[in-house]
Amino acid sequence: MKKSRGGKEFCGFALPGMFCFVAVVIVPFLYGVYLTLTDWNGVSSVKNFVALQNFASVLTDKQFWSSLLLTFKYVIFVVIIVNILAFAIAYLLTRGIKGQNFFRAGFFTPNLIGGLVLGYIWQFVFSRVFVGIGEATGWSLFEVSWLSDPSLAFAALVLVSVWQLSGYMILIYVAGFMGLNQDVLEAASIDGATGWVKLKNIILPLMMSSITICLFLTLSRAFMVYDVNLSLTAGAPYGTTEMAAMHVYEKAFTSRQFGVGQAEALILFVIVAIISGIQVYVTKKQEVEA
Amino acid sequence: MKKAILSGVIVIAILAALVAVAVSGCRFGFASNPDDPNEVDTAEPIDTSVDTFQYDPSLEGTSITLLNSKAEIQNALVEMGAEFEKRSGVHVEVMPVTDGDSPYTKVVSLYNSGNPPTMSILDTTDVIALAEEKAADLSGEAWLKEAEGYLTEVNGKVYSFPLCIEGRGIIYNKQVIEETLGESFDPASIRTLDDFVALLDRLVAAGMEEPVSLAMEDWSLGAHHLQYIYETYDGTSAGAAEAIEKIKSGQLDLSTYDRMSQFLDMFDVLMKYNVAKGDPLGADYDEMAIDLVDGKTAFWFNGNWAWPNLEDADAEKDDAYGFLPYFMNNDPDDFVNRQIQASPSKQVMLDGVVATEQQLAAAKEFLNWIVYSEIGQQMLVKTCNIIPPFQNNPYEPSDPLSRDIYNHVHDGAAFNASAIVPNDHWSILGAAMQKYLAQRSDRAELIASIEDYWAQQQ
Repeated sequence: MKKSRGGKEFCGFALPGMFCFVAVVIVPFLYGVYLTLTDWNGVSSVKNFVALQNFASVLTDKQFWSSLLLTFKYVIFVVIIVNILAFAIAYLLTRGIKGQNFFRAGFFTPNLIGGLVLGYIWQFVFSRVFVGIGEATGWSLFEVSWLSDPSLAFAALVLVSVWQLSGYMILIYVAGFMGLNQDVLEAASIDGATGWVKLKNIILPLMMSSITICLFLTLSRAFMVYDVNLSLTAGAPYGTTEMAAMHVYEKAFTSRQFGVGQAEALILFVIVAIISGIQVYVTKKQEVEA
Repeated sequence: MKKAILSGVIVIAILAALVAVAVSGCRFGFASNPDDPNEVDTAEPIDTSVDTFQYDPSLEGTSITLLNSKAEIQNALVEMGAEFEKRSGVHVEVMPVTDGDSPYTKVVSLYNSGNPPTMSILDTTDVIALAEEKAADLSGEAWLKEAEGYLTEVNGKVYSFPLCIEGRGIIYNKQVIEETLGESFDPASIRTLDDFVALLDRLVAAGMEEPVSLAMEDWSLGAHHLQYIYETYDGTSAGAAEAIEKIKSGQLDLSTYDRMSQFLDMFDVLMKYNVAKGDPLGADYDEMAIDLVDGKTAFWFNGNWAWPNLEDADAEKDDAYGFLPYFMNNDPDDFVNRQIQASPSKQVMLDGVVATEQQLAAAKEFLNWIVYSEIGQQMLVKTCNIIPPFQNNPYEPSDPLSRDIYNHVHDGAAFNASAIVPNDHWSILGAAMQKYLAQRSDRAELIASIEDYWAQQQ
């Protein structure tokens, strides 16, 4: 009796959600996997089975591997800078300073601007405002547009992403700091722990659950970056800032090699899944109860 | 307490820096006005008193769709559709391809969702990719004979309607040149690359430091510049196709191919006199239009589609702008030094898969109306500001760039060659050209990347 009611409840609550999930995530995903095994060009009504030929093409696509390498570099920079910055600012913003709610809102704002818009705004800043400053002051760093030099354009991408992502992470870290058990902190102070020692031995372990979430979010967002990449640099100068997601799109829709593009997307997915999985597993193990 | 104040100061400092960046972004403003929806329409009036076109009454009430990938004529097309509906009773729904979407991606996704447009305005490459699979055969249409020389054939059949002719070359601002040199300027007097360089040197001597604007966009470099090496093979589309085949098969060695080195000779000249020489990849497209109109530069490599940009920068329709050829050598008899490139660019393809007989007939009537009716002819030229590829169309475009292309075409001073290249040609080789433009690669490296690209297209 009880069991059948459980079944009914399951059907009532879970099935609609599961149906949507299967329809818009699982089915397209499996269809995508199937496409990697065909030579479909996006239009033709026949799809020829080509086995693993697309994956062989991926291996010879030098540009894909260099864009993947660049993505790794980008992820490392973004994840580290965003988390350190967000952690530090959140720390400052939970110490009871005047107007801290205003500052929290202020730092969160960039996250409310869509990536495309953000990219275009910053493109203007880098190629006009910075150059204007350079002309006025003679500083060589701003003499030419950052976006026309490969390494500066990369720095620009990192800078904008950090600017955008930090606000969200600050919010999560702020919540984490607010939830810290004051008794433990007070006990630590009485025991003579101050500054760095307190941070390292008491606060960090207690903050691990926030860190897990923030690392996961920044990792996955940074790996899948497309909008900022497209609107800020669009791969310029000469294709040196084309990240993996953008390369996949270009391959599928500009070069019209759907199979190869899809295979590259699948490889990117597997890489991101493995790395995020490891990250969540490792940081979860560090979490402690107060 | 002291610590709290310190924290506050740090936070304020960071926030202030952010605000400063944001504010300075606003203060500089945009170089050109973004499209203003309230702008007064200055389109020329259309004379609708005469209309001898025979409308088919059985098509009344039919509804057809038109996918438009030429953003600048969106409003004009809607007007045209409304005028056509008033007379024929056929409703034409014009759907724009939104910015950032590629026309091909859009049309393919519409096909895949089973809801393709009856008519699509596409680039020639896209038409060729879709023709045999999806398009209706137009080989029997009457307007074919009016568009002779501008038709695109796929295996002997015509699947598309040439909508417009577009041309490109070195745009000059005659008034600025004359004011700088203090003498009258006759574009026909420049007949070779050396003549062009001499003119540039005189402009420099007369105080115009860098007379050329050179766009860094990959579509400009990869498609409009680089494709000269195929199109000048013999000045025809067939010749361009032959050149591409020979490059693919290795018969044509780019390092010894004369048009390759000649092209780079011209490109080097443009680079040398480029106004953005200090930071060629930082060049701003809108600023180039302003520079040309204001007289900071005298030349801009572009096509007649640049007119709206010039107009935004306050150029007037009776100003003297025109095109010089893309000079590639010092032989005054070589056609590249005497003619500019002009060829049909956008094509209308009719759906041959989902559209009903009735819709197809209505779409064909719309095309015929554009070619044969007095009103359609006028609207194509005056409302859409298009250079018509149809010999029976007596109207001339009104902006100086289109008019110059039109005159070149009618005086036989244009060559009709367009290279059909894979869709990613402009983006991949555009990047290679950017590298060359930034002087981070030399001729050998550029040629190697072009050869590499073609080797992968087997």
